[in-house]
Amino acid sequence: MRSGDFKETYADLIVLSDSRLVWAWAGVLVVALVVAPFVVNAYVLSLLTLVLITVTGALGLNLLTGLTGLISLGHAGFLLLGAYGYAIVVAKHNLHPLLGFLAAGVAPALFAIVVGLPSLRLRGLYLAITTLAFSYIISDLILEAKSITDGARGITVQRPEFFGLDFSSDPSFALLCAFVAAVALFACLNIQRSRIGRAFMAIRDNDIAARTMGVNLQAFKLYAFMTSAFITGIAGALMGIYLSFVSVEGFPFLFSIEALAILIVGGLGSALGAVLGTVFIVLLPEAIRILFSWFGGALESLLSTGVHEVKSIAYGVAIILFLRFEPRGLVGVWRDAKRLWTHWPLKY
Amino acid sequence: MTAPLLQLDALTRTFGGLRAVSEVSFDVMRGEICSVIGPNGAGKTSLFNLISGVLRPTSGRILFDGADITRERPARFASLGIGRTFQNLALFKHGTVVENILVGRHIHTKSSVLESAFFFGRTRAEEIAAREKVEEIVEFLEIEQIRDAVVGQLSYGQQKRVELARALACEPKLLLLDEMVSGMNQEETEDIARFVLDIRDELGITVLMIEHDMRVVMDISDRVQVLNFGQKIAGGTPDQVRNDPAVLDAYLGRRGRPSEPAGSAAHGL
Repeated sequence: MRSGDFKETYADLIVLSDSRLVWAWAGVLVVALVVAPFVVNAYVLSLLTLVLITVTGALGLNLLTGLTGLISLGHAGFLLLGAYGYAIVVAKHNLHPLLGFLAAGVAPALFAIVVGLPSLRLRGLYLAITTLAFSYIISDLILEAKSITDGARGITVQRPEFFGLDFSSDPSFALLCAFVAAVALFACLNIQRSRIGRAFMAIRDNDIAARTMGVNLQAFKLYAFMTSAFITGIAGALMGIYLSFVSVEGFPFLFSIEALAILIVGGLGSALGAVLGTVFIVLLPEAIRILFSWFGGALESLLSTGVHEVKSIAYGVAIILFLRFEPRGLVGVWRDAKRLWTHWPLKY
Repeated sequence: MTAPLLQLDALTRTFGGLRAVSEVSFDVMRGEICSVIGPNGAGKTSLFNLISGVLRPTSGRILFDGADITRERPARFASLGIGRTFQNLALFKHGTVVENILVGRHIHTKSSVLESAFFFGRTRAEEIAAREKVEEIVEFLEIEQIRDAVVGQLSYGQQKRVELARALACEPKLLLLDEMVSGMNQEETEDIARFVLDIRDELGITVLMIEHDMRVVMDISDRVQVLNFGQKIAGGTPDQVRNDPAVLDAYLGRRGRPSEPAGSAAHGL
């Protein structure tokens, strides 16, 4: 059993993790992520890429819904804006891909002000409906603004190439996604341990007290919206590149639900939860596919005809089961497991 | 004679027909411990909400440190130097004790979202300084053992102390304490009374507190203001207030007469 926990400087108190073991495992994970794209088969690689892109998006939503407590059903709209931001800058105007990624973050962040402003006084269900309406308005806007977005035709996007690095192959694109996901993860962890993240948390837990502590509620709710939209937009750009085609149909409303499911399953307000939840939710349809293939016959054909419906049902069931049996999400399970590992055979 | 830190000038707040706070005027001197007492529903907490910017006054003025702050934005009150605790705990219950107190450092840190995301330079320096300050307060209030506990799991008395710590982290000039010792046992009450004296004497913070525990009020207050039905009915040193007939009326009713609450007209029924 470990005992004693001594720090010699105040700087030691604010580090992300004071455990060498945690850093060592993180290093192992990084190495695994760098190596994996080049050794796994194409199917697993596509799943890996999808997980990495989804992690980025889920981290974005987590800042808003998990940390600040503002629910959003409109994140499919931010994904869409990010994808179009990138596609318009890079595919239509042939500008540098990095400018494209910048546009993929800035465009949703600007629109986040538009949806954020009326949302300042709304909460819970009302905010959910407002953000839902927002995502539909965004799809309609994109369909109508044909001169900018090519409307319903969509935009074909090539894999990027910059600084002499070529991301056109699947493994190298997975590496790019891993890099973006890692940056997003560190950004979220850093925000969480700084004044901004604490202000977000304060707004979530008690907004009157937060204001009494000098937190400007309007400004910080907008910051939460904008930061969340920025990160989500980057994920949208990666998604667009991954699909190699950006269109309104490519970013259905189901994405918003999927993102919320990820947060609930993973554990609201925790960056680690967003990562665990993503792995669970993205791999859930795969697990179902394998399960159904064991039973074969009718179930397998059901999956091939109604994959979307089966997915929606699975997300719904996952949300209900986690809310009922483990509201803290996978991150709660992880903490319990850790405690058991440290203290066993004692209770505490 | 020291200058007043807080001056209330005919401060009034109505909710529909109800005058929760009605033309209340008094001064709080620098370095003073001032208590506000009164029966339930007297408007004490409403008065605190006005002074801390949670509510806006219907009429009247609030002067703080010589400046009129009546029309300031609510989020500015902390920066002006007014900190407070709440009657019913208003902590960030999913955060740890240290995180809660760190929120109190919000106005003393300046990092933007972008700086925070990368955690270099200024953010890092600010976080270290904030953490150092928090550890000072943790030591001052003797809550070292619980500093990493999640606030929601602490006892009521401990949570009250964390709230006091959070308010102190703002480094206010004026600290508003709303019923700090309610629901506390004798020992906890004495601890808090000692802390309030230390806050004034060691940290030089002026204290304005709402309190129902008369022993605490009479023991440590320099002056006491008495409210009833939104109006100030008396004010002065504890001894003056203790013997004021209007105060005795408010608390005990009038002798030999069918009890008719004082100032029922102001109740606005």
